[in-house]
Amino acid sequence: MKGFWRSGDPFVWLTGAALAFALLMVFGLVGLVLVHGLGFFWPRDVARVTLVGGGAVVGEIVEREPIPGPLSPGAPRPFRVKVKQGNRDVVGADFVWIDESRIASVDRPAGLVVVERREWGNAYGTIRDVREGARVVAAGEEAALAALAGRLPAALALAREIRRIERDEVGRINYEQERIRLRLRRLELRGMREGPQVEALRAELAGLQSRYDARVRELDALKARQTGTLTLVIADGRTMAIPLAQIVRVSRPNAVGLAGRAGLYAARVWEFVAGDPREANTEGGVFPAIFGTVMMVMLMSLAVTPFGVLAAFYLREYAHQGPLVSTVRIAVNNLAGVPSIVFGVFGLGFFVYFVGGAIDRAFFPEALPTPTFGTGGILWASLTLALLTVPVVIVATEEGLAAIPRSLREGSLALGATRLETTIRVVLPAVLPSILTGLILAMARAAGEVAPLMLTGVVKLAPALPVDGFPPYVHLERKFMHLGFHIYDVGFQSPNVDAARPMVFATTLLLLGIVLVLNLVAIALRNRLRRKYAASAV
Amino acid sequence: MRIQRALMPAVAAALVAVLAAPVLGQVRLDSRLVNYRAVSGISGNLSSVGSDTLNNLMTLWAEGFQRFYPNVRIQVEGKGSSTAPPALIAGTAQLGPMSRPMRGSEIDQFERKYGYKPTEIRVAVDALAVFVNKDNPLRCLSMEQVDAIFSKTRRAGYREDIRTWGQLGLTGEWASRPLSLFGRNSASGTYGFFKEHVLRNGDYKDEVKEQPGSAAVVQGVTADRFAIGYSGIGYATAGVRAVPIAERAGGACMEATAPNAYDGSYPIARFLLVYVNRNPAGRGDPLVREFVRYVFSRQGQEVVIKDGYFPIPAPIAVEDLKKVE
Repeated sequence: MKGFWRSGDPFVWLTGAALAFALLMVFGLVGLVLVHGLGFFWPRDVARVTLVGGGAVVGEIVEREPIPGPLSPGAPRPFRVKVKQGNRDVVGADFVWIDESRIASVDRPAGLVVVERREWGNAYGTIRDVREGARVVAAGEEAALAALAGRLPAALALAREIRRIERDEVGRINYEQERIRLRLRRLELRGMREGPQVEALRAELAGLQSRYDARVRELDALKARQTGTLTLVIADGRTMAIPLAQIVRVSRPNAVGLAGRAGLYAARVWEFVAGDPREANTEGGVFPAIFGTVMMVMLMSLAVTPFGVLAAFYLREYAHQGPLVSTVRIAVNNLAGVPSIVFGVFGLGFFVYFVGGAIDRAFFPEALPTPTFGTGGILWASLTLALLTVPVVIVATEEGLAAIPRSLREGSLALGATRLETTIRVVLPAVLPSILTGLILAMARAAGEVAPLMLTGVVKLAPALPVDGFPPYVHLERKFMHLGFHIYDVGFQSPNVDAARPMVFATTLLLLGIVLVLNLVAIALRNRLRRKYAASAV
Repeated sequence: MRIQRALMPAVAAALVAVLAAPVLGQVRLDSRLVNYRAVSGISGNLSSVGSDTLNNLMTLWAEGFQRFYPNVRIQVEGKGSSTAPPALIAGTAQLGPMSRPMRGSEIDQFERKYGYKPTEIRVAVDALAVFVNKDNPLRCLSMEQVDAIFSKTRRAGYREDIRTWGQLGLTGEWASRPLSLFGRNSASGTYGFFKEHVLRNGDYKDEVKEQPGSAAVVQGVTADRFAIGYSGIGYATAGVRAVPIAERAGGACMEATAPNAYDGSYPIARFLLVYVNRNPAGRGDPLVREFVRYVFSRQGQEVVIKDGYFPIPAPIAVEDLKKVE
């Protein structure tokens, strides 16, 4: 026994167990997110649940649980199922619990369709006909499906065209109008209420207005062509007319095989990643949130790297190593332990109100009292996160600098290089991998941080991206959406928690994926640099 | 509440006349509400900061409004009603959704900065619901009982502190189980409204689990069979049930439905509000005016139903629309 302890094996076992435990926790968490996040998009069977004593519910069976409560002896525990019945505009609630004792039978007729709509969530039922205005174009299931196959793409294309005109052409006119309005206001602030300049601007405004009116007429004409409707018979026998323009997708999950479902799955995942959110973020995609997250991390990297690296260079290369520098170093390390919400409060007070307010008064007085920079925005959020992560970069860079052998610097100086040349040509390349390590850690921290963002510019809905086609193309003052905040919002503030819960997992998965991709890119870059400077660094 | 009670009978009378109105999700829309027609020359940024109860409603309105004005940019933030007045005062938001009326002190602060009072607009009706788990057999609660459940001061005068379900008349396994209380955090207007009208400005018990959002309250009650919590009716799901409430012990139990909310028989109905900064002297911001017009249109009130709240009757819509025109 004594020999066993002496051999050191127990310690090996202990370390191994610790690692195994950590891995188990990580894989358990990632596995949970994977299962819930990926399963969300898989098209399930649509069941028709016939109730005892008549009546039926049509929908997806999403959950089954035992009914709690005392059991009468000998009787099996009763169960109940949760059915996603959709048709929220007609029946009022998306989900319904049904005790299994009330169920007479469950079948899955091939004719049941799922209609994914832009509003009011899914609709379930059987197809009756397709109409154009009041005229029935195709009656009966097969004919109607064939008619849909022809009409739905056209209806989608029309909707896209309308969206394009709205966003690009009308958008451009609105943008110009807003610009002129602000210029007029600026003239007014200078005391010019009339004169040739004002007249010219007014005329321009009127010209834009007539262009806008023409576009609106064009839009009205296009919208008048959206007359197609799909008539559905729902579970209780009522009919429901769904305009084709409202339809995202019509599918018959019961009738399609594995390949068809995989296709549907891919289409839904794509919609989630590339689409805009709908229905108060409970449906549709999260593209604006992905864009906001990535852009914010990029901006943060741009801000944090130069600052962190310069500060680390001074601390390690130039500063006289004494108690003062040690104090500064401890302070920097401690900064990493400050709760992130404190940085958020600082960002709100300093960046948003102080700096942003000053910028508004100096450069955008015409827009006041509506703030331009004096309110949360992606720039302020990025800078706040840069402050939050600067200690990471400083520490990593400093350690890289400490690892560079003194002989290397001395060799460079001995060959006649100045101190600046040595720093830039010899030390900087050698320390680049360490800088990137710091940046990787900083990005990972920044992408997952939510609390400070809530104070400095993240919002529930901001459909206008911070980058678009209107000069100056990059709008750093805009508020933005963020995946981390999206998780919080959908999880805690969604009006339809039942429907939105799977989206929490899907969004989490996406956020994990983005952090992973950002890290992999940085790691690949670091490895390249390491190889490149491997020879010179030794 | 007192003001609302006075208004509600008028609302009910107005509604009886319009029984032919379309029915959406079991709630009736006043057929006299007008369709929204877009006007030209509307563009710019609109920012909304305030109530979490109204958060989704504002987001849905933003989506709908953008269908009429594709390039109006609307940003919605909802972290609690108490965040609305500072944002309106600082000018960082043009719309301040709140689930409780502004306090005197908040109005004073606004008036000190601008010289006039903020304009209050009633945008929807909410029946503040007391939710229990779907398995809970509880039939009815009186206001005094609700107070005795959530409050340690019991200003409503119930004879004893209610700690177990047995005290509410439940039997079997429920009788000895303690109530698990869920509520909102103090930034919430729902928290303030409930404190004022149910607790009569008494104090919440320390055991109330304060949640960051209404949906979190509903989820808490869904997961915990012995839980009880309050939030706007719009957050109801299949996992919870809104308990009928009686004004006083022995009184009639009223369900949290639209008709009961309108005629005031459901005791904790309230208006959901949006505050705007409207200078009575000058012309108002056209963007804000159009947004309010949209909210009071048929399309805007359909959205209210979609979010689970109850629409505003046409007379109130007309009255409040005048305030911004």
